[in-house]
Amino acid sequence: MIVDRILGIVFLAVAIGAAWHAQTLDVPFAADPVGPRVFPTLVALLLGACGAAILFRPQKGNWEIGHVGRVVLVTVASVVYPYLLGPIGFVPATSCLCFLLALAFGARPLASAVSAVVTSFVFLLVIDYLLDLPLPRGPLGI
Amino acid sequence: MDSFSSLLLGFQVAFSPLNLGLGFAGVALGTAVGALPGIGPINAVALLLPLCFALQLPPESALILLAGIYYGSGYGGRISSILLNIPGDPGLVMTTIDGYPLAKAGRGAAALAISGIGSFVGGTLAVVLLTFLAVPLARVAVSFGPSEYVALMVLAFALLTTMGSGNAAKTWAAIALGLLLAMIGIDGGSGVERFTFGSLELLGGIDFTALTIGLFAVAEVLILVERPLVGAVSRLGSGPGLRIKEVAACLPTMLRSTGVGFVLGVLPGAGASISSAVAYTLEKRLVDRGTFGKGDMRGLSAPETADNAAQTGSMVPMLALGIPGSGTTAVLLGALLMYSITPGPLLFTQRPEIAWGLIASMYIGNVMLLVLNLPLVGLFARLLLVPAWILYPGILALSFAGVYAVSNSHFELLVTTVIGVGAYLLRKANVPLIPLMLAFVLSRLLEDNFRRALSLSDGNPVILFNSVTSVLLWVLAVASILGPHVLAVLRKRRVAATLDG
Repeated sequence: MIVDRILGIVFLAVAIGAAWHAQTLDVPFAADPVGPRVFPTLVALLLGACGAAILFRPQKGNWEIGHVGRVVLVTVASVVYPYLLGPIGFVPATSCLCFLLALAFGARPLASAVSAVVTSFVFLLVIDYLLDLPLPRGPLGI
Repeated sequence: MDSFSSLLLGFQVAFSPLNLGLGFAGVALGTAVGALPGIGPINAVALLLPLCFALQLPPESALILLAGIYYGSGYGGRISSILLNIPGDPGLVMTTIDGYPLAKAGRGAAALAISGIGSFVGGTLAVVLLTFLAVPLARVAVSFGPSEYVALMVLAFALLTTMGSGNAAKTWAAIALGLLLAMIGIDGGSGVERFTFGSLELLGGIDFTALTIGLFAVAEVLILVERPLVGAVSRLGSGPGLRIKEVAACLPTMLRSTGVGFVLGVLPGAGASISSAVAYTLEKRLVDRGTFGKGDMRGLSAPETADNAAQTGSMVPMLALGIPGSGTTAVLLGALLMYSITPGPLLFTQRPEIAWGLIASMYIGNVMLLVLNLPLVGLFARLLLVPAWILYPGILALSFAGVYAVSNSHFELLVTTVIGVGAYLLRKANVPLIPLMLAFVLSRLLEDNFRRALSLSDGNPVILFNSVTSVLLWVLAVASILGPHVLAVLRKRRVAATLDG
């Protein structure tokens, strides 16, 4: 119930924002009679109608909660990863990512570390050397 | 006769060493990735899509590889359903009903063999149907103008909402979100920036590979880390192998299920997942003597055959109309669009090497899959023993490496993660992701046709309804939206009437 109420409000807000943004679009010259505004406005109306329907007629059903901490850990690791990739290189950055993920999936630290390093090297070999698609290298050259 | 000579051309394309190799790589990878628990066809295709682009393969070769992964994963998916009781995607739930009891009874090897044969029968017969149906359908669609295309796409969305399992408002909301996401960037018609929030990186729009990886790889890993799958691997078993008599007993079931699967696959909507359910229910009504659900070979072969037939069937609207029939064919369509090729009725005449090369490769691919799957199924089953803490970190790392390889941009990696987290939240709130993805792919096409139609009439919307075909398509769309509600009301009245009487 509560999930659907929040979802409905979010969809309504996105719809209003999109519709408002569409109206601010300035067309320097008219290439076609419709222009870039009409289609986003129509889609925003559809989204708004759905948002209202979900808000006022919420479904029963509960938000199942599992290991939320692990989800947050994986999300944070994924957000930090792109920032590490350039400075420290593909293998070290990917090893960190895989290490944290392996921990999140319940592995022991030593096993996580070994599998993370092996996985990173395998991908470097396959993607960079075998398929010839350059991956970022850090100061260590890997 | 026309189809035969075109098919011959297709075989010339498909038998080139590069395409033969890629076809083999596709079906083998597809079986392997499909065998992994929790990973279905759409995840498999999404995961390998960026690498495929980064390699800059010619379009027909890329399509042969991606399609191979798609129908190959249909063969692989049954392995975790039968041995682990964990379906890789919703289409495989039915496979577990009779497959897992067979594995528990020690006949895992026989169960895998019959489902492999079922997949082959369904896949191959559906390609034959595809060969002869696609061109006539495309011929009808050649006369379609912009207003007919608008109506056709609305019909596809309407079918998606009625045939899908989710709540209608949530499905329509997912469609609207997909359409909006695709509008980010510079508008082709007027050169105006839309929804870019002043960001330079967003000028080019959201990258298609970032979207698919976010929706179907990152979100999947988040779902799995929150609630890990549990299941004990049952062994292939030492029970009696598959007997010829059992295969013969399953043949009528396989033929019927091919028909069911193909027809439902051609219709846009949740093709594969409902076709296996419909085929299973049909067989249960027709031939069940109380053995279904306890390890009946026919109960296992029905969903497996229908699933593969539906996968191939969903290629028909994708190739002939340019409208995908399922989430995975939407990914294939998006892949073609990235090559600046618009699939549709003219594909068969203008780029026959793509359309027919793909169709021919599916004949070859299904034979390869049968040969791969009967003797080597034990090898693929070993993949189930890879622990989750090696598998899923690897999948996320491969996703990011793929997005990086195709875009060379850190920003795209962030976009992928943001889409993935958003998709995870949407999935938790029961908003389906496949309609979002389909709408994203079709958005540009829909808006272009909408604007073209209205330019012809100088802005008068009546043009959208001024041909017999477009009115027919609109009526069908409205009927498919209202149909289920009308039926529900009628049923209620009938129940009320019987109660009164």
